[in-house]
Amino acid sequence: MFNPLLEVARLLQDTPLRLELSQSTWTVPIIGAIHVLAIAWFGGTVFGGAVLGPNPQLRRFRWIGLAILLFTGFLLFWSQPLRLYYSQFFRAKILLLVLIAAVACLPRRFARLGVLVSLALWAGVILASRGIAYR
Amino acid sequence: MTFENSWLFPVIESIHVMGLAAFVGTIVLADLHTLGAIPDAGPLTRWTHAGLAAMLATGAAMFFSDTARYLHNPAFHVKVALLVLTLVAHFTLRRRGTRFTAILSLILWSSVVVAARAVADFDV
Repeated sequence: MFNPLLEVARLLQDTPLRLELSQSTWTVPIIGAIHVLAIAWFGGTVFGGAVLGPNPQLRRFRWIGLAILLFTGFLLFWSQPLRLYYSQFFRAKILLLVLIAAVACLPRRFARLGVLVSLALWAGVILASRGIAYR
Repeated sequence: MTFENSWLFPVIESIHVMGLAAFVGTIVLADLHTLGAIPDAGPLTRWTHAGLAAMLATGAAMFFSDTARYLHNPAFHVKVALLVLTLVAHFTLRRRGTRFTAILSLILWSSVVVAARAVADFDV
């Protein structure tokens, strides 16, 4: 069966950048720090959106935060693709992220419910992420 | 109290990260508002304080689960020093709500987060 996550992991595993990332002392910690800063940034805009309601300026900031989060997250994945692919928690995290993306596509009349469901899913993403550090 | 190898430690860590999103996240919003980048973030203070309470409780739980592990970690010392400094600035200077104090708050909280993340990197 075609497994896109495994294919991507295998592809990245054999790149020079993967070696570079996994052998450097400071690169991954620095990317990890930016990733956590982006959690604060993005999380704030999520809470802001949930409390203050939709706001175009806030939305722009949220997208910037999400872009940084996804970009640094992708680089962290690149530093150890196969180890992460075989982590149950990483798979759970990817699944939860896909669900969040699906919830974001729901029609407008489900917006209120969508906010609550995605907040719960984000909590799951954080739990899964911490789990990855352990297995 | 040792729960390092069980599921409890990662769960407490996760609540610490959720607290981070609520606490530092809403501070960032308020500071961005002070800087004129986004509209009023007034009703968020409740989230800020709830996040702070969650972070302090879970942070203390992790620290007391293995005090020696953290006391031997240089990044932890830097983090606590920065945290105390930043909390004092948060409840005193930042009340002035000037552009300067907003920028200072953003820089200080970011350095606390970076030092906190480094605690894991210096963990042996």
